[in-house]
Amino acid sequence: QTDDKINSEPKIKKLEPVLLPGEIVVNEVNFVRKCIATDTSQYDLWGKLICSNFKISFITDDPMPLQKFHYKNLLLGEHDVPLTCIEQIVTVNDHKRKQKVLGPNQKLKFNPTELIIYCKDFRVVRFRFDESGPESAKKVCLAIAHYSQPTDLQLLFAFEYVGKKYHNSVSSINGMSSGAGGAAGGGAASGSSQKTPLFESYSDWDREIKRTGASSWRVCSVNEGYMIATCLPEYFVVPSSLADQDLKIFSHSFVGRRMPLWCWSHSNGSALVRMALIKDVLQQRKIDQRICNAITKSHPQRSDVHKSDLDKTLPNIQDVQAAFVKLKHLCVNEPFEETEEKWLSSLESTRWLEYIRTFLKHSAELVYILERKHLSVILQEEEGRDLSCVVASLIQVMLDPHFRTITGFQSLIQKEWVMTGYQFLDRCNHLKRSEKESPLFLLFLDATWQLLEQYPAAFEFSETYLAVLHDSTRISLFGTFLFNSPHQRVKQSTEFAISKNIQLGDEKGLKFPSVWDWSLQFTAKDRTLFHNPLYIGKSTPCVQNGSVKSFKRTKKSYSSTLRGMPPSLKNGVISDPEFLPRRNSLILKLKPEPPEQAESQNSGVEQYFRDWFSTPVDLHGVILPRLSGIHIKLWKLCYFRWVPEAQISSGGAITAFHKASVLVDEVDVLSRMLRQHRGGPLPACFSETDQSRMYFQASGPHAASGTPDFLSSTFPFSPVGSLCRRSISGTPFSKFLSGARIWLSTETLANED
Amino acid sequence: MASAPTPKYNSHSLENESIKRTPRDGINWDLGEAVPRLPGEMRITDKEVIYICPFNGPIKGRVYITNYRLYLRSLETVCKHCRGSDESRCVLCGSGDSALILDVPLGVISRIEKMGGATSRGENSYGLDITCKDMRNLRFALKQEGHSRRDMFEILTRHAFPLAHNLPLFAFLNEEKFNVDGWMVYNPVEEYRRQGLPNHHWRITFINKCYELCDTYPALLVVPYRASDDDLRRVATFRSRNRIPVLSWIHPENKTVIVRCSQPLVGMSGKRNKDDEKYLDVIRETNKQISKLTIYDARPNVNAVANKLVLTGAIQVADKVSSGKSSVLVHCSDGWDRTAQLTSLAMLMLDSFYRSIEGFEILVQKEWISFGHKFASRIGHGDKNHADADRSPIFLQFIDCVWQMSKQFPTAFEFNEQFLITILDHLYSCRFGTFLFNCESARERQKVTEKTVSLWSLINSNKEKFKNPFYTKEINRVLYPVASMRHLELWVNYYIRWNPRIKQQQPNPVEQRYMELLALRDEYIKRLEELQITNSAKISDPPTSPASPSQIMPHVQTHF
Repeated sequence: QTDDKINSEPKIKKLEPVLLPGEIVVNEVNFVRKCIATDTSQYDLWGKLICSNFKISFITDDPMPLQKFHYKNLLLGEHDVPLTCIEQIVTVNDHKRKQKVLGPNQKLKFNPTELIIYCKDFRVVRFRFDESGPESAKKVCLAIAHYSQPTDLQLLFAFEYVGKKYHNSVSSINGMSSGAGGAAGGGAASGSSQKTPLFESYSDWDREIKRTGASSWRVCSVNEGYMIATCLPEYFVVPSSLADQDLKIFSHSFVGRRMPLWCWSHSNGSALVRMALIKDVLQQRKIDQRICNAITKSHPQRSDVHKSDLDKTLPNIQDVQAAFVKLKHLCVNEPFEETEEKWLSSLESTRWLEYIRTFLKHSAELVYILERKHLSVILQEEEGRDLSCVVASLIQVMLDPHFRTITGFQSLIQKEWVMTGYQFLDRCNHLKRSEKESPLFLLFLDATWQLLEQYPAAFEFSETYLAVLHDSTRISLFGTFLFNSPHQRVKQSTEFAISKNIQLGDEKGLKFPSVWDWSLQFTAKDRTLFHNPLYIGKSTPCVQNGSVKSFKRTKKSYSSTLRGMPPSLKNGVISDPEFLPRRNSLILKLKPEPPEQAESQNSGVEQYFRDWFSTPVDLHGVILPRLSGIHIKLWKLCYFRWVPEAQISSGGAITAFHKASVLVDEVDVLSRMLRQHRGGPLPACFSETDQSRMYFQASGPHAASGTPDFLSSTFPFSPVGSLCRRSISGTPFSKFLSGARIWLSTETLANED
Repeated sequence: MASAPTPKYNSHSLENESIKRTPRDGINWDLGEAVPRLPGEMRITDKEVIYICPFNGPIKGRVYITNYRLYLRSLETVCKHCRGSDESRCVLCGSGDSALILDVPLGVISRIEKMGGATSRGENSYGLDITCKDMRNLRFALKQEGHSRRDMFEILTRHAFPLAHNLPLFAFLNEEKFNVDGWMVYNPVEEYRRQGLPNHHWRITFINKCYELCDTYPALLVVPYRASDDDLRRVATFRSRNRIPVLSWIHPENKTVIVRCSQPLVGMSGKRNKDDEKYLDVIRETNKQISKLTIYDARPNVNAVANKLVLTGAIQVADKVSSGKSSVLVHCSDGWDRTAQLTSLAMLMLDSFYRSIEGFEILVQKEWISFGHKFASRIGHGDKNHADADRSPIFLQFIDCVWQMSKQFPTAFEFNEQFLITILDHLYSCRFGTFLFNCESARERQKVTEKTVSLWSLINSNKEKFKNPFYTKEINRVLYPVASMRHLELWVNYYIRWNPRIKQQQPNPVEQRYMELLALRDEYIKRLEELQITNSAKISDPPTSPASPSQIMPHVQTHF
């Protein structure tokens, strides 16, 4: 490996890490070479590798080669990896041809010449220690292994960070500085003044009841102080006919005391409810009956309740995890060229897309029950806090356009994931106790991406937003994705506060920063990349018959376009959307429902789907996923962004996104000018500030001069900093590791040290 | 509704023809019958049949056969909700019933078979089974009594395979008129001049003016300045079918070239040819700085695994040339199949001109049509021998690769998907002369440009329909697609377009939304102009706004 010394002598310079409050450097090593994704090592960077209690950081003076844009996370340098994002640590000594996967508190019997970090977000980062002190290299490796695999939740950096903030605030003023309280909205990011409701309070739930028009449902506070169940929120919504006293009694019969929780109500009165299994066999029928009756009573038509047993219809969390591991291997691990040949069959055999499809399909079928059959739906699952989160969220994204806005989507995640006790700590495996890991949240984001891909004008947010949101689950700074339940936050942080002498006053636990306070991670400019330029919001202006109107739709406007010439079937293809009646039109609704007859439910669903797909989409109504094989795609931005070989330079969907953004910006500018001429009121979508909503602007430095050079299919991410798997000093990477599969299982290598 | 009354984009060109009645499309409609008819198209027969629709089941209809097309209109109506023909009224929509229509140019038919016999039992077991080159399979059931299918079979066979019956291809009967003449699109001298040729090292030769040097090459060739006509003749003897190395494209700056030819005639003895070697040296020396020539032999196995390998090959060629490392000579066996794929794709990557609508037409006209890709043999126009081993979807594979590129670079191509689909539809339809015959000399003998209409006439007289709204004109950007299975996709809108269940959203929602935004911008600009006129008529309001419309408008308007 000596021929690698292409670069000049390692620089001797003081390189200082950028640290957050409460962050401390645990160990560091100088003269480290970071390998860069090119064929040669000529672009490799020299610098210092540090391990802190929050991240590993590579500090260098060398500029990042081959990268012409900056999309920077304010919490992390471009070479940094948060400790909670680390999946596996492999140390190598290539002279002795030894390697070892480092667990916590393990010994290392050789001095590593190389450190390879496999990240949960599919990055692979590689450092070489040819010029560094062998002992300090070893120490850093061990420190990384130790600190990335903490034994206790309170050792996660967020505690240290928030503790420091409290201390600082006491010494300065009473109250928190930035990031205080979770209620920081998508405000600055979304251009709307709305804040994301966190559903920690009574009033958030109450507002949601009113927003959906759910009569006969009430907010219940029996769980205040987590008196009934520690995995439920303090406030939740139940049928009005169920008294607190009954709920208290029933709660004992449910797994985890998780009684029925209302999620959402359709405008037709059908409700979406989730609940755990009733474990008490003797009471089962009785309680079940009581619950169903109560839900029926809360339905304006007193309709029956449809129950969906998710454990029986969907893959379980282990299945999903297994699929994800296979997907990860396929996307990251295997030598690129080897996977090319059988790419499609390999991809199919991961079953990832199949599972995405299954979740989407099942959710769409329940949309049919709620929307067409006017029945309330109960999602039933053993504990009711895994598959239910995905299905409840997808149903609401499909049915309610509010959840397709940024603020709405964030409130949905608060409502169906964070507050309802999705076990982020275990499922994200922040503490590396791998048996409970499962990427259900990613599965939900991926399924949402499928809908965004199919209905690009129906969502306020972009795919970058979804990818960045996923990345945020790997940063152990936000309280949002750190805990198994809201109660765990309160309990653990109260303990922590006591141990650190922090005065909580009347606050319930420490207030961790919320992930929805995007200003902690991105500048205002960078946050504009979350905005989908194609989105048609409620008040987005549009041109109709040559005159500009806003998209405000009343029921009246539906009927105006109802009848027209019958469309013809051309070449056996039925498609003439313009002449078809609008979905949700009055006339459709006035027509008698098709007689149910002996028609099996399946054909009813299919009929519903066929009807829906044969009429034009109302982007402010229901959207249903297309489910055939060709319509469920791999989310390339998310899974390929760190693979240099898969990067399309100056190409990818982002180039069209760029064009659309510039155009939207132009339209905004023109609209503002028109307004100034007229002195008229502002359309709601424009903020008072003159700051553009769009990342790419008409008058910016790249104005009208074509596609900027730095765009590529991975934008705003760059695979340059990730490891090149093509070859290392001419040796294919897989062979370099003696043919061992990367992502080595710990057992395989346990006895190799 | 977003899509409300905004412009309509149709999904299939053949389909459009059946519904548009504007004379600009050259379509007449038989009054009363509502069957489209091109000028020069003649009705031959019609018959009641049962169309066995693979998606909707059997449907009763009337088939009309002309000398250009088979046209079916269902007699029963199809409920678009139920997608079945059983119910005459749909409970949901009440009306909305519609006729099913099939519009099939006879040119796309590759095979007509009789199914069942006079004694076959079972419903709809007796009739015709028609296999099409555009991936359709049409089955018609007829009445068993009185050999009712016989005359339909004969008429179809006669007009679908006119060459076997001494009949002209429809293109020679087509009397369509367009306001643009597509035959004027490609002028080789102009195209080479655009590339900066001739120059000190390359000359244009008319040695093949009467197709004497090589009967499958174009009349006009670009060869090294230092090679004499005699040299060319000597080299021709050593190259399969005399297809000598000639220039296809030259890099405007580094002057490396792409040269194409057929394989050398290395016999059993492995003999080499001094003239040929000398000629290659001359080519190499046309570029003094680089003086390298890479020979890309596209013969082995390229056929096997589809578009990935074709794209990979073209990327290698383009990379060599663009990086200025070396000129490239591409050959396969005869230099008219894989060679055309590689050179034309490499040129598409290297030269942004070819990514415009006219540029692409020129590319096809030059690298494929003029250099003798054997369209007649590969497609089998008007020929009944459906199992002919010469048939091969080489050109389809090329268009597929172009589509893959357009997916990876959504703003780089002036044309849209519909443009490519239209080209493929008329590759088979025989409505235009563009893809007929195997080489330029044959076309000249048949007076194709005088007697037929060019496909580019149809396209260029209605260009808006084929434009990609995201197109950003760029000069000198080399595009390298990623030829990875991770990015290559199935071209659903072409290969699976006949299946209504699989069909993608039409129009493409991203494109549609963009068009709406364009319309909105234009509307705003119009209003601002109006306001400005009114305002300037009044006493001047001191300009308080940071930018007045007149300041921003020139910029805004430069986009398209």
